[in-house]
Amino acid sequence: MKKTSKLLALLLIGALTLGALAGCGGNGDKSAAGNGEKSAAGDGFRTLDEIKESGVVNIGVFSDKSPFGYVDENGDYQGYDVYFANRIGEDLGVEVNFVSTEAASRIEYLQTGKVDIILANFTVTEERAEEVDFALPYMNVALGVVSPDDAVITSLDEIGPEDEVIVISGTTAETYLEKNNPEIKLQKYDAYAEAKTALENGNGAAWANDNTEVIAFAIENPGYTVGIPSLGSADTIAPAVTKGNTTLLDWLNDEIVALGEEEFFHADYEATLLDTYGADYEDTLVVEGGAA
Amino acid sequence: MDFEVMRAYLPLYRDALLLTLRVGWQGVLLAFFIGVVCAVILHLRLPVLRQAAAVYIEFFRNTPLLVQLFFLYFALPKVGLRVGAELCGVLGLGLLGGAYMAETIRSGLESVTPIQSESAQSLGMTRMQAFRYVILPQAVSRSVPGLVANVIFLLKETSVFSTISLMDLMFTAKDLIGMYAKTMECLTLLVVFYLIMLLPVSILGSFVERRLRHAEFGP
Repeated sequence: MKKTSKLLALLLIGALTLGALAGCGGNGDKSAAGNGEKSAAGDGFRTLDEIKESGVVNIGVFSDKSPFGYVDENGDYQGYDVYFANRIGEDLGVEVNFVSTEAASRIEYLQTGKVDIILANFTVTEERAEEVDFALPYMNVALGVVSPDDAVITSLDEIGPEDEVIVISGTTAETYLEKNNPEIKLQKYDAYAEAKTALENGNGAAWANDNTEVIAFAIENPGYTVGIPSLGSADTIAPAVTKGNTTLLDWLNDEIVALGEEEFFHADYEATLLDTYGADYEDTLVVEGGAA
Repeated sequence: MDFEVMRAYLPLYRDALLLTLRVGWQGVLLAFFIGVVCAVILHLRLPVLRQAAAVYIEFFRNTPLLVQLFFLYFALPKVGLRVGAELCGVLGLGLLGGAYMAETIRSGLESVTPIQSESAQSLGMTRMQAFRYVILPQAVSRSVPGLVANVIFLLKETSVFSTISLMDLMFTAKDLIGMYAKTMECLTLLVVFYLIMLLPVSILGSFVERRLRHAEFGP
């Protein structure tokens, strides 16, 4: 009896090992084939044809940055960026798979091929352009600083040595302040939701971010004023693809130019941003056909 | 790999290491204190306190540190209780770790058979004397591996501190990657610094364990 059970155990272990090995082999083959395809096309990204063939385009968007990219009460992605992303999917003839990103991980998501396109309010900067390829812009942006009504900060000089300014890790506001105002103490968060709560709780004297974002915050939350509506140079926001993914980049550029003819981004603004910003900001924010 | 870049980042990582260690060790000490108190309460079956300790342990063992930190840092100020970020980190680690430490120490205490306490008492020791001189030394030496594992676990849990704006090792790496996109360099430094922090704990732990369990391991 003892012998039989030992034998059985041995057989079982043998079978499991074989199964595991076979499983590994299978996976190994698959990933090898995958790598083969990728290295033929470049590295770590999918070309336009590969995306069309697969029937799905992976687009990285924010899930907590209303009204640009957020998840509504039904669990659907909404916002200015998402509206554009859906149009991209439509014109490519594929499904859109939304991938939620944080500000600091946008470049990694492209470099590791986790997404094909980043449409997460990605401001064009020189440093970033070394790491990813930006398409034509579809929005204007500058930095802004919002603070509570009872202690409005209208200039960076008003920020005391003890005050901390809230920023979100990986945003242009952070880089700008680190570079140009290293004396200002920054309180860094890794998500929008947390930064907003921190400002509401009074953990920092002010919150520096894209001006679109802080204006929206001040409109939605009485008791806060955008004391510095425009800081630093005016920048643009554009879709980004993995460095070297020229087929997709060219397609996006053509798409943005073509969409300009039908004033697509004005329609996008009216569908997603009008409620927050009103009509006054429409022409300052929207970039049509890639040309400011 | 760009070693120049890595060298430039070193001071930032050093600051992060110091912060992680400062908050981490205070948290570990608090956790140990809470753990001992709870374990003794549980072991001696003190009425009322025992139930309270059980509720505390189950509550904090079954909620993630991230959630606890969120609560301490973002929810408490809404009801007028403001706690600084570092203190939040210490409290979070202490409360979470306390629950784990309590269970580890309690299991050490339980592992000493009741007959030892009874024998000691029959030799004329009081209950407290038996606990202090017979049970506790054995229990502590048996708990050491578990306690060391808890310390390492707690120090690694500091990696969720980014939520409450503490620039710990993990957040520093993520932040630098977000700004300068030197992923390989930042992540390599991150691994190296975690090892710098945790390897000594691990090695010291095994050493202490060998010394305390001299009788079992032999000289």
